[in-house]
Amino acid sequence: MTDQEKGERIREIVAAYPADQRHALAALQDMQHAFNFIPEEGLVELAKHLGCPQAQLYSMATFYKALSLTPKGEYIVKICNGTACHLRGSMNLATSLKSELGIDPGQTTEDGLFSVELVNCLGSCALAPVMVVNDTYHNRLRVEQVPGIIDSYRQGGASDE
Amino acid sequence: MSEMLTISIDGKECTCKKGEYLYDVAKRNGIFIPTFCRSDAFEDHRACCRICIVEVEEGGRTKVVTSCVYPVERECSVQTRSEKIMEERSVVMALLVHRAPEAPSFKNMVGRMGATETDRLVTLDGEKCILCGLCVQACNALGTGAISTVNRGTEKKIDTPYGKGSDACVGCLSCANVCPTGAIEYSETDTTRTIWNRDFELVRCEECGQVMGTQNSVVFAAADEVVPTMCDSCRKKHLADEMMATYRYV
Repeated sequence: MTDQEKGERIREIVAAYPADQRHALAALQDMQHAFNFIPEEGLVELAKHLGCPQAQLYSMATFYKALSLTPKGEYIVKICNGTACHLRGSMNLATSLKSELGIDPGQTTEDGLFSVELVNCLGSCALAPVMVVNDTYHNRLRVEQVPGIIDSYRQGGASDE
Repeated sequence: MSEMLTISIDGKECTCKKGEYLYDVAKRNGIFIPTFCRSDAFEDHRACCRICIVEVEEGGRTKVVTSCVYPVERECSVQTRSEKIMEERSVVMALLVHRAPEAPSFKNMVGRMGATETDRLVTLDGEKCILCGLCVQACNALGTGAISTVNRGTEKKIDTPYGKGSDACVGCLSCANVCPTGAIEYSETDTTRTIWNRDFELVRCEECGQVMGTQNSVVFAAADEVVPTMCDSCRKKHLADEMMATYRYV
């Protein structure tokens, strides 16, 4: 994406909302979705549009785990570490991902393909342990399934079974 | 006129308006309640340092409340120094001291009320900030809004966006002045003030040479009016002289 395209996309996202501060979070989420992170230009543009301090948006963007100020991978792998998932071995999934991708939770692979995140509860405790890649849920996961799943994404877009 | 209530604070009868904050009632009646995050500059309070806790007995029930944001709604009896409060305050003090061991104002307060000894807390070496957010409130109230809380949980801190010098900041020191623990650092030379990662040019009164603030803050404060070139006292002196020259023979 060129800078110009990026700027246009930002203006599009911002213009879709009325100039009211309560839309800040929704607009930030849209930006996160469009760029896999929130660019600085995006914050500046949104602050101008909503008429609120840039610092306030920055505070929001750093508060929510779902928003990121540094580029995230194309596939965001979320490992649930809520109570149920933790008890059923979610940390083993994290270890397995580390050996597969070489990154710890919170990091992004160098090729920009994967980001691994540890999240607190995805609300699917009955299916523990749960791993979510972008919007696809992988339930009742066993450690030995992890490399296969990662490989399927590496080969460009996995099937949503 | 709003409804008046009579409450008892530490055995003293105090009259107050319904809805008035307990802390204000106590203060008006000469009863000291310690606090850090309370500033009279604002109408809404942080209730963040938790040092101002008191025991309130209302309708036969006793509860511990933060007096700075507790509105008096009905008759009650308040204890500001009961055994329970002193104990809880000293626990709160211990938490604050471990959070911000370098805060100068804590030494005095610890001496006054003690802090529970414990080895269960990690001390943040070199820290002064208790994250009360008064600085952010001051900056927003001023209309600059240059700083905010950043991150969350143990990573939380106060900063400008991206930790860079902010265009919104005018270098007025409101944040540093309102800070109860002296946590906001800045430095000054003869001509420059450095705060929040940015240098500001200082302006001096053309008459007496006293520092009037930073160029940005003076322009900001003047809004659309003419930017003053003299400090307040010199300006008044000038005005008085002018008046004298004009009305001398009246």
